[in-house]
Amino acid sequence: MHIKNGKDFWAGLMFIGFGLWFAVVSQNYPMGSAVRMGPAYFPTVLGGMLAVLGAMVFFRAFVSKIAHPLKVFLFRPALLVGSIVVGGATYLAESQLKGAPMVQYALAGLSLLLFIGAFGPRSMFLILLAVVIFGYALKPLGLVLAIVILIALSAAGGHDFRNKEIAILTIVLAIFSVYAFVKGLGLPFNLWPGE
Amino acid sequence: MDFALIHNLGVGFGVALSLQNLMYCFFGVLLGTLVGVLPGIGPMATIAMLLPVTFNLSPISALIMLAGIYYGASYGGSTTAILVNLPGESSSVVTCLDGYQMARRGRAGPALAIAAMGSFFAGCVATVVIALFAPPLAEVALKFGPAEYFSLMVLGLVGATVLAHGSLVKAIAMTILGLLMGLVGTDVNSGVARFSFGISELSDGINFVVVAMGLFGFAEIIVNLEQGEAREVFVNKVTGLMPTWKDLKDSSGAVLRGTAIGCVLGILPGGGALLSAFAAYTVEKKIGDTSMFGKGEIRGVAAPESANNAGAQTSFIPLLTLGIPSNPVMALMIGAMMIQGIAPGPQVMTERPELFWGMIASMWMGNLMLVVLNLPLIGMWVKLLTVPYRLLYPAILLFCCVGVYSLSNQPFDVMLTAVYGLIGYVFVKLECEPAPLILGFILGPLMEENLRRAMLLSRGDPTVFFTKPISGVLLGVALVLLLITLAPAVQKTREEAFLE
Repeated sequence: MHIKNGKDFWAGLMFIGFGLWFAVVSQNYPMGSAVRMGPAYFPTVLGGMLAVLGAMVFFRAFVSKIAHPLKVFLFRPALLVGSIVVGGATYLAESQLKGAPMVQYALAGLSLLLFIGAFGPRSMFLILLAVVIFGYALKPLGLVLAIVILIALSAAGGHDFRNKEIAILTIVLAIFSVYAFVKGLGLPFNLWPGE
Repeated sequence: MDFALIHNLGVGFGVALSLQNLMYCFFGVLLGTLVGVLPGIGPMATIAMLLPVTFNLSPISALIMLAGIYYGASYGGSTTAILVNLPGESSSVVTCLDGYQMARRGRAGPALAIAAMGSFFAGCVATVVIALFAPPLAEVALKFGPAEYFSLMVLGLVGATVLAHGSLVKAIAMTILGLLMGLVGTDVNSGVARFSFGISELSDGINFVVVAMGLFGFAEIIVNLEQGEAREVFVNKVTGLMPTWKDLKDSSGAVLRGTAIGCVLGILPGGGALLSAFAAYTVEKKIGDTSMFGKGEIRGVAAPESANNAGAQTSFIPLLTLGIPSNPVMALMIGAMMIQGIAPGPQVMTERPELFWGMIASMWMGNLMLVVLNLPLIGMWVKLLTVPYRLLYPAILLFCCVGVYSLSNQPFDVMLTAVYGLIGYVFVKLECEPAPLILGFILGPLMEENLRRAMLLSRGDPTVFFTKPISGVLLGVALVLLLITLAPAVQKTREEAFLE
């Protein structure tokens, strides 16, 4: 069999994966009956339907008239393997790491980074990384420094990084955010570290 | 009956015309246009991004502002479509065809003016249509039991999948995936935290803003960056806003037809702006002198712009009367209402008349403000278009992040949004339209709840969905819609329509 439509091939696999995952995880909850549906009932049915639809999309990939290459986006298998190894190790060593939650978080974060880095373009990796760091830096570092990190990292994800421009943009956005979000809308952000 | 209507509208205008609400309406329209004009962000991302701004307002002010953001964003989207040939949203795709050609011929001004006037006219008519049709529909809806609601939601979801781009099977799969994702969190009936893996943040469920912002906001930025930018802006050519008499005469018929089409199609589940704009353009292409279409025909701008505004507004009818969103933007509105503690549905009209009628009156005000605001400010919007994307996207990213963070002041939501950004990128690459997913996401818990109640009432007999008359008709319509879409002839024209 020859795969004609790469997009359908991967989309099919994705839907099957999601469907089975939801259906299998649901089995941890009470199923109930058709009269009194338990929390597992609806997701099990939907998960099954999703898996069947996914299978339809998957098999369509072999007979499709629309041709797409199998390689839909950049994929770095080494990073994916690394992500699974680190993530799996963290999960298995959970009981040993109980005393050191920071180590556990760091390992889980590393696994996630490797996972995201395994797919897609560089810009995506940098942008999503910038977003996540912003989220976790906002409280400890304060709004201003978090904005500096967010803008610098996400701008590095573009094609055309100009130092001066980005510096001005950062300053303008930082001033605007302080006045609009914190002073204007009253969002409870601290502006600087340790406030 | 007519007296009641006038009385109700009076109440509505009383609410909408208060200084405070006028101000929020104005801000909404202004912000919406501002963000909507920026290329590469559609109304979905705009509303998701600006949603947190409304959190601290009273419910009525919040809804008025959100509705303003919505029209503002759509209007801003058509400005971008005309000047840059870049549809900010799918419903401006048709506006690009002739609007951009007009701009290339140095007629950007009249194209923008006609778009604004057509939208205003359509908005006025649609407001009256809502005021006339919503109350009787809400009365019908009050008689709905769980079985009827379930079937209605099925119809809404089918409508959304039928209108999604590309493959129907994929669209249905995306809907179901959305339903499943909507179930994450604590089950109201049993108190079991589903699919949360002991993560306490997940046991409250995934916030829909997170999903919308990730799938629409972040994914859009990533895809835009990957594609690089190549666009030509007609900045210097916007001279002479006023259309000539001939323009007005040519387009008046088109505006009327577009408005009528939009009002009807907007009410249908899954309908709204997109379908209306496509239908209006197709009709216009079959009437009168068609030689100029695709080369800068003003009717080709007037008809779809009127239709998408009328459709956008009448799609509030199912939301306000039944509590069922007919398209993803309405799904966002539902989410916004829930955040404000309002359960959308027929009871809103009777229990909170000031909310319902105030919102309707504010729609009219918002449309008026758009005309007043946009025509003189067009120069400013045009300037905005010349800001390069490399400066825009970090700013957009920042606003998205601040918005998501302020949902619960926890970094977890921001991280989850990044995850949805990743998923959204994968969806784009695999040609899976995310719009049906967001609709499913909102409806997931509601559907489960109504399914459970219906089955409990019928003692486990699933035929109840077909034997109850209203429910049966709704499911029948859903089935017919699906079958029609599967018919080979329709499938072909559908492909062509989305290719255009």
